[in-house]
Amino acid sequence: MRKKFFVGICAACLIVLVAAYQMSRPVTLTIGIFAGNNWDVPQGEPYAIIDEVIKNFEAENPGVHVRYVSGIKKEDYSEWLAEQFVAGDEPDVFFLPADDFNLYAAADALMNLDDLIARDENFSADVYYPAAFNFGRRENTSYALPCESTLTFMFVNKTLLAKEGIALPKNDWTWRDLLDICRKVTRDTDGDGVPDQFGCYDYSWQQAAVANGVKLFRDDGRTSYFADERMEETVKFLMELRAVNGGHEVSPKDFDVGHVAFRPFTFAEYRTYKPYPWRIKKYSSFEWDCIKMPAGFSGGHFSVMNTLLVGMSSRTRHRDLAWALLKKICYDRATQQLILEKSQALPVRRDVILSAEAREIFSWDSSSAVTPADISDAMDEAGMPFKFKSYNAAMLYADAELNQIIEGVVPLTNALNKLQTEVNARLQY
Amino acid sequence: MQELLTVKRMHRLLYVYNGFVIFILMAFMCLTQDRINLAMTARAFLEQAGAIPTPSPVIFCTTIAAFAVFVLISHFYRAEKKTHVRYVLFAAEIVVCMLLMRILNLSYDGVVLLVVADLMYRYEGHHREYILLAAMICLYFMANYNLAITRTKIISFEAYASYYSVDAKAVILAIKNTFDSINVVFFVFYLIMLVKSKHEENERIRLLNERLEEANQRLRAYAIEVEQMAETRERNRLAREIHDTLGHALTGIAAGLDACLMTLEVAPDITKRQLNKIRDAAIKGITDVRRSVKKLRPDDLERLPFQEALKEMTRNYSESSGMEITFDIFSWSEHLRQDQEDVIYRVLQESITNAKRHGHATRVKITIGGNENYLLIVIADNGRGCDDVKAGFGLKHMRERLELLHGTIHYWSDEGFIVEAMIPLNREVDNDKDFDSR
Repeated sequence: MRKKFFVGICAACLIVLVAAYQMSRPVTLTIGIFAGNNWDVPQGEPYAIIDEVIKNFEAENPGVHVRYVSGIKKEDYSEWLAEQFVAGDEPDVFFLPADDFNLYAAADALMNLDDLIARDENFSADVYYPAAFNFGRRENTSYALPCESTLTFMFVNKTLLAKEGIALPKNDWTWRDLLDICRKVTRDTDGDGVPDQFGCYDYSWQQAAVANGVKLFRDDGRTSYFADERMEETVKFLMELRAVNGGHEVSPKDFDVGHVAFRPFTFAEYRTYKPYPWRIKKYSSFEWDCIKMPAGFSGGHFSVMNTLLVGMSSRTRHRDLAWALLKKICYDRATQQLILEKSQALPVRRDVILSAEAREIFSWDSSSAVTPADISDAMDEAGMPFKFKSYNAAMLYADAELNQIIEGVVPLTNALNKLQTEVNARLQY
Repeated sequence: MQELLTVKRMHRLLYVYNGFVIFILMAFMCLTQDRINLAMTARAFLEQAGAIPTPSPVIFCTTIAAFAVFVLISHFYRAEKKTHVRYVLFAAEIVVCMLLMRILNLSYDGVVLLVVADLMYRYEGHHREYILLAAMICLYFMANYNLAITRTKIISFEAYASYYSVDAKAVILAIKNTFDSINVVFFVFYLIMLVKSKHEENERIRLLNERLEEANQRLRAYAIEVEQMAETRERNRLAREIHDTLGHALTGIAAGLDACLMTLEVAPDITKRQLNKIRDAAIKGITDVRRSVKKLRPDDLERLPFQEALKEMTRNYSESSGMEITFDIFSWSEHLRQDQEDVIYRVLQESITNAKRHGHATRVKITIGGNENYLLIVIADNGRGCDDVKAGFGLKHMRERLELLHGTIHYWSDEGFIVEAMIPLNREVDNDKDFDSR
């Protein structure tokens, strides 16, 4: 009896000791992050923001260390992350390329955040723009939080418009305005009989479709809606826009030397090239600015908003700490402020976009056409990109077909119906 | 015994083979996962797999540990005697089996056959068919719908095989199917061995029973033979005794009487003397006959006081037949003659023998009572009794014996069979009569 008692005491001591050791051992959280940014624009200090976030987080949570592997390029990141998952060494919290979201969410590799969100009184999804927050959801379940977003705006060559005596379009302009301006500015300036000044470059049918309110696919990616009458309207508009150039192909060089009035531009590019020093390096021969994209005849989303997501592993051993870290990256107001200041992308919190600091940052020069309120409106109006598995393959096929239709190689009559049938067939795989 | 040994060996082979296959599959998965990472095709693999694989070291350790536990539980299950402990062990075996299948991504269901093999090994027939059937259905569902039960994502074996080239994949899948098939073959072979072993065990028991029956019959025949031999021996002995004693005496008497006839007229005195001698010889003859007759008395009667002898006899019979015999003696005459004792002894002996043989009784109650004039013996059993009593040799013999002592016997069926014997005590019987009564 005494012996048993003694053994029991020893076992209890051992358990307490092991528990104490486990408790006292510093917790290490890992972050998966790629160098540079998601938006294919140059960036000076790739880890500036995350370093700051980690510093703040470690200060708030003593005994917790956060580390990350640096030097992983964006193009290698997807493979790197997959390898970490296969080896079982995946980071607790990691940035998630849009193409990988569905893969990991479907494989149950991402932590279901709904419970954490419901339990956390300090968290409210309302601070986010819906298109940003919903991008991290799949089948009505949150698997990731948005960190930063970017939108497409319309680059305007102010010098060219001023030369032609055309006023800068308002932020609520439409295709009609775009067509009018394009018709006015497209002409031969050096008198060689070939037009060398153009209205618009690189306005894709995808951007036009979004602007006209076309929803190309069902959310689950099993069927497409290319035969929608709005799509037909879009195609007709693009054919009209193309006809303005008189069959002449506009090249990037025309744009770079200042011979094109409009070109769609991501906000990241805007942030990068607008301030010094990039401003000098690129597009130095003319004054330019960005305005919102034109609305289609039928009206729709302003643009597709791309969002960088951050998720946490469903196998993490420190669920609550990982959630805290995830919130620190994606939800913390200071971090979002930091993104506003240091990143080329847009923060996803509405209050940060509309803050006084944002007003200060976005007024690069006195004549800046886009205000934080415009950006906020644009983000509210923005749509989400599709992220189902066969999206890229389907779009690649549709792109080739639609370009042929727009270029007039294939007659428009019934072509969209045929395209829809073809795309639907491809989506079934 | 030989078959049981073969079954055990086959069982061991089944386990060794499954261990081998599980190890190979586990090693294949681990190595493929590592190779995938080295070849930088993890993203493509995840796309194909649709789930996140368990890390190789975890697969390695868990598989080996789970299989070891499985083998241990199986061993105890096969050795355990208590039924309820066995049920618990069997449940544990199923749980470990599921775990093992889960770790191996359900790519190998041979372990289910191992569970079935264990179940069949301990299957004991009777009304257990339903349990067996239920367990089998359970296992089948487990093998097929494990996915639904665990609700976790499973990476198919094909996803692993797809990492390799098309040719290699075909070979790998073929090898895996071969593993499965060989396992089924082994399993079926094991079952056949098991059934054969059980069948042969039954056959052996049947043969043993037959031989036992045969031996019994021989024993019975031998007993009859021995009885006959004893009878013959006894007859010979009696003949010898008669020849030696009566024959001797009577011959002597006859010769003496012849001589007397000759001398009767001539010398009456001598004849008288001779006749005296002849009488002595006759008395001696009687004594010899008495001695011979004494030898036929039961041993107990010679050895012990009469009451003790009776009790000894009934106790011996009770011990050998399992019948409960009780004595109730109210009164007892101390001066019983030897012939009376003999008759009482034989009546009791015959009655309890009848109670056992004809009545199949389990209890016999003997009551002895009476006064100075007579002795009453009642032997009552709880046997079947008999509505229409036909006096057999035993009853007839008893009646004869009692009549010699002027006693009476009555018997009837009530709750069993009752024999009532009465012996008068005050009647003097002379020695000759006593002798005649034999």
